[in-house]
Amino acid sequence: MKLLVPIKRVVDYNVKIRVKADGSGVELANVKMSMNPFDEISVEEALRLKEAGKASEVVVVSIGPAKAEETLRTALAMGADRAVLVETDDAVEPLAVAKILKGVAEAEQPSLIIVGKQAIDDDSNQTGQMLSALLGWAQATFASKVEIGEGSAQVTREVDGGLQTIDVKLPAVVTTDLRLNEPRYASLPNIMKAKKKPLDKKTPSDFGVDMSPRLKVLKTEEPSGRKAGVKVKSVAELVDKLKNEAGVL
Amino acid sequence: MYLTETQEQVRDMARAFADEMIRPLAEELDREESFPAALYDEMAKLGLFGIGVPEALGGPGFDTLTYALVMEELSRGYASVADQCGLVELISTLLVRHGTERQQALLPDILGMRAKVAYCITEPEAGTDVSGIRTTAVRDGDGWRLDGGKIWIHNAPVADYGFVLARTDKEAGNRGMSIFIVDLHAAGVERGPKEHKMGQRASQVGALNFADVRLSADALLGTEGRGFHMMMSVLDKGRVGIASLAVGIGQAGLEAALDYAGTRKQFGKAISDFQGVQWLLADMAKDIEAARLLVHSAASKIDSGADATKACSIAKCFAGDMAVQRTADAVQVFGGSGYIRGFEVERLYRDAKITQIYEGTNQIQRMIIARELLKKGARA
Repeated sequence: MKLLVPIKRVVDYNVKIRVKADGSGVELANVKMSMNPFDEISVEEALRLKEAGKASEVVVVSIGPAKAEETLRTALAMGADRAVLVETDDAVEPLAVAKILKGVAEAEQPSLIIVGKQAIDDDSNQTGQMLSALLGWAQATFASKVEIGEGSAQVTREVDGGLQTIDVKLPAVVTTDLRLNEPRYASLPNIMKAKKKPLDKKTPSDFGVDMSPRLKVLKTEEPSGRKAGVKVKSVAELVDKLKNEAGVL
Repeated sequence: MYLTETQEQVRDMARAFADEMIRPLAEELDREESFPAALYDEMAKLGLFGIGVPEALGGPGFDTLTYALVMEELSRGYASVADQCGLVELISTLLVRHGTERQQALLPDILGMRAKVAYCITEPEAGTDVSGIRTTAVRDGDGWRLDGGKIWIHNAPVADYGFVLARTDKEAGNRGMSIFIVDLHAAGVERGPKEHKMGQRASQVGALNFADVRLSADALLGTEGRGFHMMMSVLDKGRVGIASLAVGIGQAGLEAALDYAGTRKQFGKAISDFQGVQWLLADMAKDIEAARLLVHSAASKIDSGADATKACSIAKCFAGDMAVQRTADAVQVFGGSGYIRGFEVERLYRDAKITQIYEGTNQIQRMIIARELLKKGARA
């Protein structure tokens, strides 16, 4: 069984991001970039399935600039077997990404696609769902546990009310949530080995996908600063404020 | 930046590991003076020991610059942990360069931390001047008999194998010393009590005594009489390691000081708003960066095969002095809190001091630098 794991190169989660002066987006110049944390969880899950003998090969794919090759190498250093880079300098939007991934899936024929529920740069949370619809495959989103059975997967999902366990027929698309696993560190020998693992390069046109944006960014702005709090003298005053000012009682 | 993508990848991994797995343990390890066996097992699994050992011998086969990057990051987490990495690096470098196939068979256990090693040079009468050693190995049948004693030996209380420098020819000076691989569980080996140190307190240090210890013929590492030269041949790399370790301590101090200066309020504003504190921070940053660049330059020299002796001594000397001075500044930024046990900078200041002493005192480093400068035809 082959596993396909799409990964995205994003601003590192430790970076304090700044909005560009003209409000057109976030400042990306000289900012540390790394693998989307949800995608690290996806890679980890795929590797664990392989180590448990449930899968035979883990293929990682990224859609983005040439530099995304570094991010793919990180996944290879964690233990993925090979990588595909679909190189583009265009802005990547969920629909175009899902269409390219559909093309990759048709070429690779994986039994399971494990994808982060969202990327921490645009927080779209759409690609996995769109991909499943385009492929006509089952989807199990926000996974906190994945178990592979005969021709199906049992996935525990994090939903508002708690946990929901569903059974999906394979092939399927699973999107990963934060509590699925804790990603491993790439070991030094594996970082060395990753340099020699195969990495195929493609372009969006190889899959006949038009990257032109469907979304228009109107404005990007910093969240407004938090106002200073006030001190109250008594419980009575607090209750009064909660009732009459905050309107929560 | 002049680092390769792979070097950055290794550094980032070591940095994340140090932040998440090492730094949170440092305070307790320092307080308890305990040997972090579980942490070392974890590091061994990640290939963080024996970084320069070639792939054919079971290591990852990285260059000296990568080793320096890892040492800085581990030390930023906790210097004692980096020093263990440095110790394994030196021993494995000796084995790779001079070991027989049978001796090199020890490497997987050493890199896997299943066998702990000690590098046994120093004696009461032989510190900086190694030629004063009195430990002797005398031929006995086809093997050897080892007698003498070592002090201040890192890992002595826990080690399985000692790499022991002993005199094999009393008349031959520096050409009369040899290195032996000694099973420290053998009869005649006695371990002294653990020393209680000022800093780097998770490093287990103590004495070893050898009374009529029988060694087989293949305990001899490399050629008889070449022990001093073998030891010297790994000194450059050792100095790069300790210099990196000193940079890591300084960097941890800067990070702690920046964090504190931004939150500590006096006279109604953060103390980082005062120029007096800003200058402390700026001086810390510039010296740390200078030391780091000296280290990287020395490491690159080793990797290129050039004569790196002067560069390594400059890096070690500068980085050690920097670490002591700039962690003192970090304590200063913290004020009274920085003098209290449990605050990271208090430990960092203590951890820094030994970097001016071990792997050749900084006075010796200055002598080496001067000697290299005054060589005929040398370029200043």
